[in-house]
Amino acid sequence: MRFKFPLMALGLEVGMIVLFGLFVHYETEQNIQQLNATKPTDTGRFLELYPLFQDVHVMVFVGIGFLMTFLKKYSFSSVGINLLIAALGLQWGTIVQGVLHSYGQTIHIGVENMINADFSTVTVLISFGAVLGKTSPVQMLIMTIIEIAVFAYNEYLVGEIFRASDTGASMTIHAFGAYFGLAVAGVLYRPGLRKGHENEESVYHSDLFAMIGTLFLWTFWPSFNSAIAEAGEKQYRAIVNTYLSLAACVLTTYAISSFLEHRGKLDMVHIQNATLAGGVAVGTCADMEIQPYSSMIIGSIAGIVSVFGYKFLTPFFATKLRIQDTCGVHNLHGLPGVVGGLAGIAAVGMGVSNTTTVAMQAAALGSSIGAALVGGLITGLILKIPIWGQPSDENCYDDSIYWEVPKKIDYDSHFHDYHQLNPEV
Amino acid sequence: MGSKYPPSLRVCLPWWALALEAAFILVFFFYTSYDTSSKNQKTLMETYRGFQDVTVMAALGMSFLASSLRRYSWSGVAFSLFLLVLGVQWALLVDGFLENVSTGKVVITLLRYRDLATMSAVSVLISLGAILGKANLLQLLVMVPLEVTAFSTMRMVNRRFLNIDDHSNMMHIYVFSAYFGLTVAYCLSRGLPSGIQEKDRTATSPSLFAMLGTLFLWTFWPSFNCALLNDPNERKNAVFNTYYALAVSTVTATSVSAWAHPQGKINMTHIHNAVLAGGVAVGASCHLISSPWLAMVLGFVAGLISSAGAECLPVCFNQVLGVHDTCGVYYTFSLPGLLGGITYIVLLTLQISWTKNSMSLGWNLAITMAEGGDEEVVVWRHLPGVPSSPFMAPATETTTAPNYRNHIFSSFGCWILSKSIQEKQGLFENKTTSFHHCSPLYSTNTYYSKAS
Repeated sequence: MRFKFPLMALGLEVGMIVLFGLFVHYETEQNIQQLNATKPTDTGRFLELYPLFQDVHVMVFVGIGFLMTFLKKYSFSSVGINLLIAALGLQWGTIVQGVLHSYGQTIHIGVENMINADFSTVTVLISFGAVLGKTSPVQMLIMTIIEIAVFAYNEYLVGEIFRASDTGASMTIHAFGAYFGLAVAGVLYRPGLRKGHENEESVYHSDLFAMIGTLFLWTFWPSFNSAIAEAGEKQYRAIVNTYLSLAACVLTTYAISSFLEHRGKLDMVHIQNATLAGGVAVGTCADMEIQPYSSMIIGSIAGIVSVFGYKFLTPFFATKLRIQDTCGVHNLHGLPGVVGGLAGIAAVGMGVSNTTTVAMQAAALGSSIGAALVGGLITGLILKIPIWGQPSDENCYDDSIYWEVPKKIDYDSHFHDYHQLNPEV
Repeated sequence: MGSKYPPSLRVCLPWWALALEAAFILVFFFYTSYDTSSKNQKTLMETYRGFQDVTVMAALGMSFLASSLRRYSWSGVAFSLFLLVLGVQWALLVDGFLENVSTGKVVITLLRYRDLATMSAVSVLISLGAILGKANLLQLLVMVPLEVTAFSTMRMVNRRFLNIDDHSNMMHIYVFSAYFGLTVAYCLSRGLPSGIQEKDRTATSPSLFAMLGTLFLWTFWPSFNCALLNDPNERKNAVFNTYYALAVSTVTATSVSAWAHPQGKINMTHIHNAVLAGGVAVGASCHLISSPWLAMVLGFVAGLISSAGAECLPVCFNQVLGVHDTCGVYYTFSLPGLLGGITYIVLLTLQISWTKNSMSLGWNLAITMAEGGDEEVVVWRHLPGVPSSPFMAPATETTTAPNYRNHIFSSFGCWILSKSIQEKQGLFENKTTSFHHCSPLYSTNTYYSKAS
């Protein structure tokens, strides 16, 4: 770890700087007019979109980072590696997406490129959730590079060739990231962890930290879904639809969680994750003219599906399919992403959008999942080569092998007497 | 704590929540549609920013503020989120229906209803502070529609029959929801058993989480106070005043907290709540106050009241009145809210009496001497709609009144007088309608300074 990781990270960074030197330039008045003579972009657009970019940035770095801090001994890595991946990913994403969209010409970055680069890192962070605690930082660097490349190709296919509509990126980001992560986790299956791991659980305060991430994501999700929507009417609809869908999703999540748990209690895992499923699911049709009620229906369904997934599918995956999904990304991003794709197909079928067809939407959903599975399998095989400093089975879910940690960890000193005082729990 | 085993919620909570959501979807199906009026991209983004700030306050700020109990942090955060979404959806509908009873068609506009709805839902979150830990989720689920309906109806009545504008209406939220919550707490309290004090304590980490909420509220409070104001000038005033009031109340609360402790230690619980008192107190009148010092005084008084309340009131409330106020909403929201309301009334009264008075020459002299003519000129020039007379402009350039000011204003009383006048002129600055009454004043002023 001492030499592998610094060498790899520095080498990648040098590569990025060289690539930026070769390909990337600022957006200036002249080159806008040269390139997009048909679509004038003024500098006012930058200031208009900058707040939305800022919101997406907060979601990526704070929201997703803290959402993964729920493990009792793995919070440092969750937030820290999250930051590392996102920082590398946004540089690589700028390059790959820019090169693809400008056909190998130099790239002129504007605020939309920055938003798209942030989006591309989200896919890696979702996949990171599936393998959380079982990989080394070096492996994550490799996964970042491969996954963003695959994502960029798939996104190009969906956006430019199929011309499918996917404003909030339910399919290209959420479903893609989740299935990519699941494929990687499936290849990296650890038989030694079949019966669980003593560190793979949360403590009271680590769950509360995860709640910070949830609330950040929940608050800023309308920005995520509307960031690349067309200005005006469509952007407005994206904001309203996402907001209503999220609201409906929270209500059904609480209801179903209470319904499934012993004595009607709520499960913190469901509250942390399933409350966000509405934002994922409404992504594809966020900017279409579906009425407010149908975005609420989509949100409700997503909430229900997600809670059922956490309760029944995750144990099933771990025992039968040999896929250990640490954060349950399949239930938060995978299933709601598919629900979003299907909702998009249904919405286009009912004729609320005249830019795409049902077949193209279905092709987009299929290609996203297919590319994710194939890419994930290949990445998993590469990551399985035993030279990347993988943690051994007993060192999984433990910060102390990668981080300097304080000697004395008293994470639950306030709760030593918890069970004595609550005999009924 | 009646029985050792609290009743299971499995039977009723899921069905109630699902039924409510289904009902919402049905009502939205029949009665809502998008706002179809043409939207300017710039205004859309601006409104969205303001709205986003309010949502951050409600979701992050209020939730984590409620997480200060050592055994109840999860519930504090999670219940707040639940109540927020329920309150928002309900308030969207209630506001929409009360607004256009005749047409019965709710149009979801970003600007009006969403801001209003989120703010109405905040009222529930404030009330939650008083009953935190003593009600289960089902009780809260019943409380939300009742409180939001009551609040919206109150605002509708105020608007229709008393002609109060949206902003002032909304600023009753603090007093309304604090007393609502306290009343509910009074009805719920059954004499807490002795063993419970141990749980009603904060520990280090929950206190830190509550501090997270406090900081979010503190940062975004200016957006909350100016969210419903339309006039750019008023918005600007509101932001500045809230900002300074918050700053002053923070300093005050911290120092009072240290001062009240025998060894000069600072109590984290006081900081959580008392820090915010300034924002509450300045809420109602933030657009009317024209000079920062007044907002700062307001913040100072609010910080004092709130810290003193945090020090003395819990004992009195728990033992004498039998009301157990878990998060201290009484001294965080209610007392500063009352202070703010009174200030608002005083300011309005001053303004009205000022407009109605025939401007006697004495007043004019006093003003001219107090301000040396320059303040008025600034106001004068910035006001559209007042016909400018050509002969005034050059005259005001050569003001000689500072001599008078130096001469006369050596005493403190006169300083107060000058400040209060300045304040009143600030009121004029905001109310262009009333300004026309004082046109003679300015002519006299300029005439006076010219003459001198």
